[in-house]
Amino acid sequence: MSEPIPLPQPHELPQREKDDALAAYLMNFAAWGAGLPIPSLNLVAAWVYFLINRRKSRFVAFHCFQACTSQIPTTVFNIIAVGTVIDYLLILNRDLPRFFWPYLGFAVVANLVYLGSSIYACVLAAKGRFHYFLVFGRWAYARYYGPNAVALEASAGPQNLPPAGF
Amino acid sequence: MPRRALGAAQIRNLLPKRAQMKFDITQQESYSRSELLLRTFFGWLYIMVPHTLVLFFVGIWSSILHFISWWVILFTGRYPASFFEFHVKMLAWTMRLHAVTWNLVDGYPAIGTAGSHPAVTLEVPYPPSLSRAKLLLRAFVGVIYVSIPHGICLYVRMLATSVLNGLSWWYILFYGRIPKSWFQFNVGTLRWTLRLNLYMTNMTDDYPPFSGKPTPAAAETAVV
Repeated sequence: MSEPIPLPQPHELPQREKDDALAAYLMNFAAWGAGLPIPSLNLVAAWVYFLINRRKSRFVAFHCFQACTSQIPTTVFNIIAVGTVIDYLLILNRDLPRFFWPYLGFAVVANLVYLGSSIYACVLAAKGRFHYFLVFGRWAYARYYGPNAVALEASAGPQNLPPAGF
Repeated sequence: MPRRALGAAQIRNLLPKRAQMKFDITQQESYSRSELLLRTFFGWLYIMVPHTLVLFFVGIWSSILHFISWWVILFTGRYPASFFEFHVKMLAWTMRLHAVTWNLVDGYPAIGTAGSHPAVTLEVPYPPSLSRAKLLLRAFVGVIYVSIPHGICLYVRMLATSVLNGLSWWYILFYGRIPKSWFQFNVGTLRWTLRLNLYMTNMTDDYPPFSGKPTPAAAETAVV
C-alpha cells in the first residue's frame, strides 16, 4: 500500500464496531473487574483485547492498538511504585526512600491524566470518532490508516499441492 | 356499549412478546455403562482437570468483560454485542460440561467457547436495549430481591438434584437409561441457574421465574 486509507465517518460505522472500540479504553479498569490489584493486569487485558479484535475492522483495531500501547508508560510507573514498596518494606525491611513520595505523586498525576484522556477517547469512540493520543495516536494511525498500513486480511498460508508429476 | 376492564392476563397477551432464552438437553434413549464408569473413576482426570484449568483463565477474562459491560450498559443502555456473544458461548460451554458430569448426556464436552454438543442447545436472544434503572437496582439490592430468594430455593433444589443424580447413576448402571421425570428435573435445575445467571450478569431484564420449566414457545428468539 502506498496511499493513506480514508478514515471512516461516524455514520458509516456499525454500532457493533463503536461498542467494540469504546470497550478497548475500558480495559484500563480490568484489574478492578478481575479483583486482582496487579499493576500490569490492565495492560495484559488491553493486549488480549487487541489480539482478539485486531482483524475485525480498522476502526476497532486502531482504538484497541492505541488503548493498549498508550497504557505502557503508566503501567511502567505503577510497576516501579509497587516494586519499590515491595522491595523496601517486605524484602529489605527498611523505610521507603525519600524520593518515593514525590515519585508516587507524579505516578498518581500521570494515572489521573491518562484516566481522563482515556474516558474522553472512549466517549469519542462510542460516537464513531477518532481521538489521537500524543505519540501513540500517530503510531496507531500510521499502523492502520497510513501509507504503509498493515493488511488485516489473514494471509492465504501454505497450500496443499498434488505430488510432483501429476 | 359499556366497556369492560381488561384483566392482567389479557393485557399481558396484548403486549408484544419479548424473546426468551431457550435451553434444553435432548435425552438419550440409552446410556453407555462403560462411559458412566469411566467418567466416575477417571472423569476428574480427563474432564475436570483440563476444563477447570482453561475455565479458570477464561473466567477471569469473563469477569473483566462483565465489569466493563456494566459500565457500557450504564452509559449506552446496550450490552456490547461481541461481549454478549462471548458470554453466551461461555455459558453454553459450562452447560455442556454440567450435562456430561451430571450424566445427562454421554460423550466428551468440547473445550472452548467455539465448541458444541449435539444434545445441548442454548439460545439467548440479544436484548436491543437494557434498563439502566434495573442495572443499578441489581447492583445495589440484587442480593436482597434476587440472590437470597433464588439462592434458598436453588439450595433445596440442588439437594434434590444431587439425590437424583446419585439415583440416576445406579439406574443407568442397571437399566442403561434415566427416568424421564428425573432427567427433566435435573435439566430444569440447570435451566433455573442459567436464567438466574443471565439476570444477575445483566444479559436480560426479565426477572427469573422460580421454576426450572422451559419458557412457552410463543416468543420468537433472535439467536446470537
